[in-house]
Amino acid sequence: MGPERFPTSKTLLEGPGSPKMTFHSIPAYHGCYLRVDLTTATSEFVPLDEAVLRSYLGGSGLGVALLLREGAATVDPLSPAAAIAFVFSPLVGSPLTTSAKFAVVSKSPLTERINDSLASSAFAIAGKKTGHDAIVLVGRALCPSVLVIDDDRVRLDPAAELWGLTNRQVQQQLKQRYGADFQFATIGPAGERMVRYATISHDGRHAGRGGSGAVLGAKNVKAVAVRGSRRCKWAQPDELAALAKDLSDRSFGPATAKYRELGTASNLLAFNRLNVLPTRNFQQGSFTGAVAISPEELNVARERSRASCVACTIGCEHVYGLRNGQGEVRLEYENLFALGPLCGIGNPDVVLQASQKCDELGIDTISAGGTIAFAMECAERGFLDMPWLRFGEGPALLRALDSIVAGGPLGELLAQGSRRMALEVGHDTIRFAPQVKGLEIPGYDPRGLQTMALGFAVGTRGADHNRSGAYEVDFSEAVDRRNVGAEAAALAIETEDKAALMDSLILCKFLRGVFRDFFAESAEILQLVTGWEVGGEELRRTAARIVTAKKHFNILAGWTPAEDTLPERILRHPLPDDPRAQLSPERLNSLVTAYNLARGWTADGWLNDESVVSDL
Amino acid sequence: MQVAVELFGIPRTRAGVARTTAVGKCLGDVLADLSARYPQLADSCIDGRCLRPGFTANVGGQRFVTDPQTTLEEGDTVLLLSLDAGG
Repeated sequence: MGPERFPTSKTLLEGPGSPKMTFHSIPAYHGCYLRVDLTTATSEFVPLDEAVLRSYLGGSGLGVALLLREGAATVDPLSPAAAIAFVFSPLVGSPLTTSAKFAVVSKSPLTERINDSLASSAFAIAGKKTGHDAIVLVGRALCPSVLVIDDDRVRLDPAAELWGLTNRQVQQQLKQRYGADFQFATIGPAGERMVRYATISHDGRHAGRGGSGAVLGAKNVKAVAVRGSRRCKWAQPDELAALAKDLSDRSFGPATAKYRELGTASNLLAFNRLNVLPTRNFQQGSFTGAVAISPEELNVARERSRASCVACTIGCEHVYGLRNGQGEVRLEYENLFALGPLCGIGNPDVVLQASQKCDELGIDTISAGGTIAFAMECAERGFLDMPWLRFGEGPALLRALDSIVAGGPLGELLAQGSRRMALEVGHDTIRFAPQVKGLEIPGYDPRGLQTMALGFAVGTRGADHNRSGAYEVDFSEAVDRRNVGAEAAALAIETEDKAALMDSLILCKFLRGVFRDFFAESAEILQLVTGWEVGGEELRRTAARIVTAKKHFNILAGWTPAEDTLPERILRHPLPDDPRAQLSPERLNSLVTAYNLARGWTADGWLNDESVVSDL
Repeated sequence: MQVAVELFGIPRTRAGVARTTAVGKCLGDVLADLSARYPQLADSCIDGRCLRPGFTANVGGQRFVTDPQTTLEEGDTVLLLSLDAGG
């Protein structure tokens, strides 16, 4: 079916989209996606073959398949030709706990590689109820706009008056304008300015990493508004309800207690004790001010409330109040680490204020903290003439965050991320830029967690703890975390495949501890929603296919084996506070080789057989 | 034989202390001793002489252990913590 133009209005193009034909849909899916060309203001409904759905499921997996179909790997991610996909999943709308999630998939403007970032809650449910398994945007709107998808009706509303608003402000205005039954994915000022690590926000949560907000900003889209009335049917609804109840019951158990009671920030003191808490731009693995910003301390001093995503029984969100009536903010381990110890900040007021600022502006906290910490070190070493920019200086952190959106000499540098900034600053500062493939490293020092180091090095979207859960291996008896050998490769792959499957089904990773046999139980879930006769082994192959598809995308985008490494600081310098935590370039290379061979790729990481992803 | 014990996350909130001591020649002995003195720790984190799923132990910040037969030395420090990372 070819594209059909929207009728135009006096202000911008608006009106009903092209008539939707009845697609053969299978349970849990609509069997089509909506493709919107913002330049021509046209849309079309594109059928999705059952074979593609079964091969890539939804979320991250289906997203990378759609991006490959769009030819997005070879396109500038901030150009009109770039594609960005909002992808739902077979489990969205089901009674399964933590299933209200969606993926945003595009080529990253930060890494120039595949980027799949996930967010949660009502946008996923409303988006799928529009009758589409995904929404793909290409082109560029003529002016700042809101893309409105109301069941089959698609229109662009001009929104110049919303440009410049923070995420909270724009969400409030959109609710007033469109009503409470619409859900919104928005960008803040950072996305508008195409900061390369800008986020897409929904209800205070973020598709955070890799700069998907910049991609949306480059398309002149301030927000995507969704409302729908189409529910998917389930293959075995009674059995699904029983399984969902069992899973919910298990989700209240000890495996999720730490998320419920302390939140993800409870890692802070344990990581500090193990000397794997990145501090002062990875110059140390422990931080003397850790106790003051720990959740144990914050819970006593100022916690206000807990929250959870729609359809979640875990409730991991801990919301803390700022002093002097300045509102409140959700706090996770990653923003705590990145805006705290990584920048040498031990003042909880500053860390909370900085986190709130990132949420409002719409910037990824890990990349913001990592890039500012890098800038602080550059300034302290005399490579940047900014004497005010020092580790431990709270006002400097807040001023630097503001500059990312406000612009100016420092802001323009910071907005590019640490890799591009290092190349502009020069003086070989790239050796201590805290990034892999351009993505800033999260809060796990790779020298003390070497299976995680491997996961970071080979990660298709760069250093990322959500696409590789290899730290779980380091926190076990399976390896010596400071001296891992080739045995770590298969273990790292197992965690990467689990993550790929969870991100495609989609289920929250905080649920992973409640599964007894993750692949087999996932297969049972998928069978109940779709009716497919699928087993754990098929899902293992599916997960590996999805990881391979991401690698295939990266190869098309220009990947070379030299990218699968870590910064020189990590590979040449042991942790000062734990000298045994040392990872040489030679040993990392041997781990990467073992990983590549275990994946069935060449020793260098090229694909032997691209047929696994050639059916797209 | 006495060892130092440091507690993190849920084990700390259940026991109500960040540090304590325990007696025993192996991890199982230490866990049993802690269970006897901190019933809330036993309810959620320790099952007899073993750790419940979702929790782990570390000796001296060096090696992670869960086997209750793991031998300990005088002066060792045992860390009790939640297993999963994330966030």
